[in-house]
Amino acid sequence: MQRFIEPAVLAGISSLDLVAKTVVDGFVAGLHRSPDFGFSQEFAEYRAYTPGDDLRHVDWNLFARTERCYLKRYRGETNSQLTVLLDASNSMEYTSGPPKKMDYARFIAASLFYLAIHNQRDAAGVIVFDEKVRDVVRPSTRPGQLARLFAALERAEPHARTDFARPLHHFQELLHRRGIAIVISDFYEDPETIVRAIEPLRFRGNEVVLFHILDPEEIRPVLKSSAILVDLETDQKMEVIPEYAKTSYRARIDAHIERLRSRTRAAGMDYELLVTDRSLDAALRSYLALRKERN
Amino acid sequence: MGFLAPWFLGGLLALGVPVFVHLLRRHVTVPRPVSSLMFFERGVQSSTRHRRLKHLVLFALRTALVLLVVLAFANPFVRRVAANTNGRLMLIVLDNSFSMRAGTHFADAKQRALTQLAAKPKTQRAQIMAMGGQLQILTQPISDSSQLHSALEGIQPGEGHASFGDLGRAVRALAETVRTPIDVHLFSDMQRTAMPSNFADVVLPVNVTLTLHPVGNGAPAPNWTIESIDAPADLADPKDPRRSRVFAVVAGFNTPAATKTVNLVVNGKTVATRRVDVPANGRATVEFAPLDVNYGFNRCEVGIDGNDALPADDASVFAVRRSDPERVLFVHAGNDTRSPVYFGAALKAAAGSSFVLQSVAQEEVTDFDPSRFAFVVLSDSVALPAIFEHAVTQYVAKGGNVFIALGTAAARRAHIPVWDGDVTEAHDYARPGADARTGAAAAVGQVDFAHPALLDEHPGRDNGGWAETRVFYAAAVDPRGTRVAARLNDGAPLVLDKQVGLGHVVLLTTGLENLTNDFPLHPVFVAFVDHIARYLSGTERLGQARLVDSYVQLRPAANSGSEQGSVEVIGPDGRRLLSLTEARAARTLRLDRAGFYQVHLANGRDMVIGVNPDRRESDLQPIAEDVQRLWSGSAETGASQTEAASNPEEKYRPVSLWWCVMLLAFLTALAETAFASRYMGTQREEI
Repeated sequence: MQRFIEPAVLAGISSLDLVAKTVVDGFVAGLHRSPDFGFSQEFAEYRAYTPGDDLRHVDWNLFARTERCYLKRYRGETNSQLTVLLDASNSMEYTSGPPKKMDYARFIAASLFYLAIHNQRDAAGVIVFDEKVRDVVRPSTRPGQLARLFAALERAEPHARTDFARPLHHFQELLHRRGIAIVISDFYEDPETIVRAIEPLRFRGNEVVLFHILDPEEIRPVLKSSAILVDLETDQKMEVIPEYAKTSYRARIDAHIERLRSRTRAAGMDYELLVTDRSLDAALRSYLALRKERN
Repeated sequence: MGFLAPWFLGGLLALGVPVFVHLLRRHVTVPRPVSSLMFFERGVQSSTRHRRLKHLVLFALRTALVLLVVLAFANPFVRRVAANTNGRLMLIVLDNSFSMRAGTHFADAKQRALTQLAAKPKTQRAQIMAMGGQLQILTQPISDSSQLHSALEGIQPGEGHASFGDLGRAVRALAETVRTPIDVHLFSDMQRTAMPSNFADVVLPVNVTLTLHPVGNGAPAPNWTIESIDAPADLADPKDPRRSRVFAVVAGFNTPAATKTVNLVVNGKTVATRRVDVPANGRATVEFAPLDVNYGFNRCEVGIDGNDALPADDASVFAVRRSDPERVLFVHAGNDTRSPVYFGAALKAAAGSSFVLQSVAQEEVTDFDPSRFAFVVLSDSVALPAIFEHAVTQYVAKGGNVFIALGTAAARRAHIPVWDGDVTEAHDYARPGADARTGAAAAVGQVDFAHPALLDEHPGRDNGGWAETRVFYAAAVDPRGTRVAARLNDGAPLVLDKQVGLGHVVLLTTGLENLTNDFPLHPVFVAFVDHIARYLSGTERLGQARLVDSYVQLRPAANSGSEQGSVEVIGPDGRRLLSLTEARAARTLRLDRAGFYQVHLANGRDMVIGVNPDRRESDLQPIAEDVQRLWSGSAETGASQTEAASNPEEKYRPVSLWWCVMLLAFLTALAETAFASRYMGTQREEI
């Protein structure tokens, strides 16, 4: 099953729910059993009764045996709220080979939704944005939520350019409950600007994760000769020589990634670089780790 | 230039392929989308230009490749002069004789010859000859211009005497060998003295075209020279008024009357000066007497002052050896008292004090050592003591010379000492019943005046004085293996020369007294004794002066070299002229330069030879123009026959260049492959 998590294989699957089910099932089946893993009500501790406590929580069986009144405490239900902020700008349309960055982002989002709703029973929602908010599905655990989310992902076609600052206040309005906010984007912006735009989400008690989607050729571009490059968002053209792409560009993109990683972590957020030729389990693993921390 | 298959030029349309690939298609550039140009920078323009330049080189190579392949199929050709198809041979003859040293004649002639050679079509064959003392063939008929040029450049002015007769003979021989039309270009001063007396000697075959290139302005420049010198080669007594003197003849060619100063230089010192009035175009004789020279060889020179057209001939050199009188051993029969008297008188009259005659009867000669004498005379001495005969035989074998006169004793004893032969019979012309052709006496019929013992350059009508001589009695010997210098009118040998070992034996088949002949009573006897004494003593070879290109004999021709010593020759420049191998084997030496030659002969004798250029070269008068026209037109018939064939503008042949073009195309393809693989190949990306 592991091979179904490979992005190139997933690109051939048209249905998002099937993609999500394939990814998550394959991912879960590959996990080891863990004593920390379990979602049913579990006994936690006994505590002596004090006046004012709810009598419904008294362990009457223990009172009958010992004539002492104790309260039986359980681990409470720790449902979380997952909100995915999906960048649907034109730059996400770039690909050097299947899948596109946008498709890869959809796979990740769909897999997270499936994992959250189907396996975790968490509320999940999505905000699709570019330079403004394009689509919103509020987090919910209602039946049919997963289908709505998948439909929102299907509708998310890239256009326009990314702007983190303008849709920021919409994020804050939509995320008024604590939860996990995952921002999926290629982050072609100054790290300071990105962190400054996303950092307010953290103040509301959200756990914020940045999934940085990049194509392999965006990290190691290949130019056999000088070529004219066109910016997908601005349509700006530029003639670039292979020597620059082989040396200076790589240094600059590496520096950008490293700076973004350090700035986000300094701001208390998580950062994950996802290259489109790698499997999706890194993203799922990151989400589960965050959820465990919250519990 | 043209194409043998021009319709293949339609393939030039294929040039559109590289033009499209490099120039047209290059403008259609598909922009490449990227997510963001945030981290890109515009490329450096110079680098792009550099790459574009490489592509232009590749474009040029590909275009050239297509062009060359098309040209190769079109088969280009060039028109070459087909000079070698009709096989005309250009023969360039440069005169480097002594007279070419006058003014700038030689330099002008060489320059014109080089110009003529440069104008030769590349494919035409040519041959270079130098006409000095000997006609030198410097190259074979070849078409290599550089080799011909270097051969022509290598010709230096010589000191020999040019002969157009030799040139004519050489060209005739060449025409028979080559069997192709020959264009002879003669670059010379056209000296009149180079023309042979018989014009037929210079007439060329019909297939030879002669073009004369005379140098000089046509008018001969005045020139004085020392035409001849009469000086003793061997001098015993400087105070001898008859011999101790030098006569020099000063000659002027095309000169006005002038007074010239003549100097006699001996061993580098001017010992005498004379002034002489030389008439216009005339000669004057100068006498230097006495000639005071040191013992040994003296290098002498007679020179005249003043500048003229040919300064190199203003001096003549000669050598004079001063020595004590040499002794001559005269062995005679005991009863013969006349022969020593006649021979001694003649020797004294001719050679003066150079020889001292010592006459000895054959019975008393036992203790004499022949090697102490200049030569030995055996007069009617057929019964020599065995010891002496053996000594004489050894003496001759080692290089000594003997003169044998056979008198009446030869009839009694047939053996001839030293001669290695016997008397076959005796002719007694005086007895009754003798040969009717001779009557009572035989006369001298044939005389070889070229023989050193009978030398006479201009013998008179009286057979050089021998016609009056009567021989009454003569011995007959087998002439085989000998050189017969004189014969009687019945054909019997009179004077024979035979080489024995390193020496010579001259045999007179009659006596030296006036009984068997009246030879001693005639003046020619004195000349004969003079010549025979000089020949046998070797002083004639010491000779006063020789001409350039004459030969000197270093060792006898008939002997093997293994038993002889080596010779040594030091040339005018002080260098040895012979290698070690040549020193042991060379028999003759060509005197090709003017100056003094010092020669050490194989028989131990030394001599110094003064060598002068031929004085005919001093007369700079050119051949008359009508004679030149006659000579150059002598082959006119043949020239007219070959005129049409020799017209270079009409004879061309196409030379195909397809293989050159194909070779270029191959090289271009290799270069294109190298460029394309280096700059257009897939680059491995380092990740």
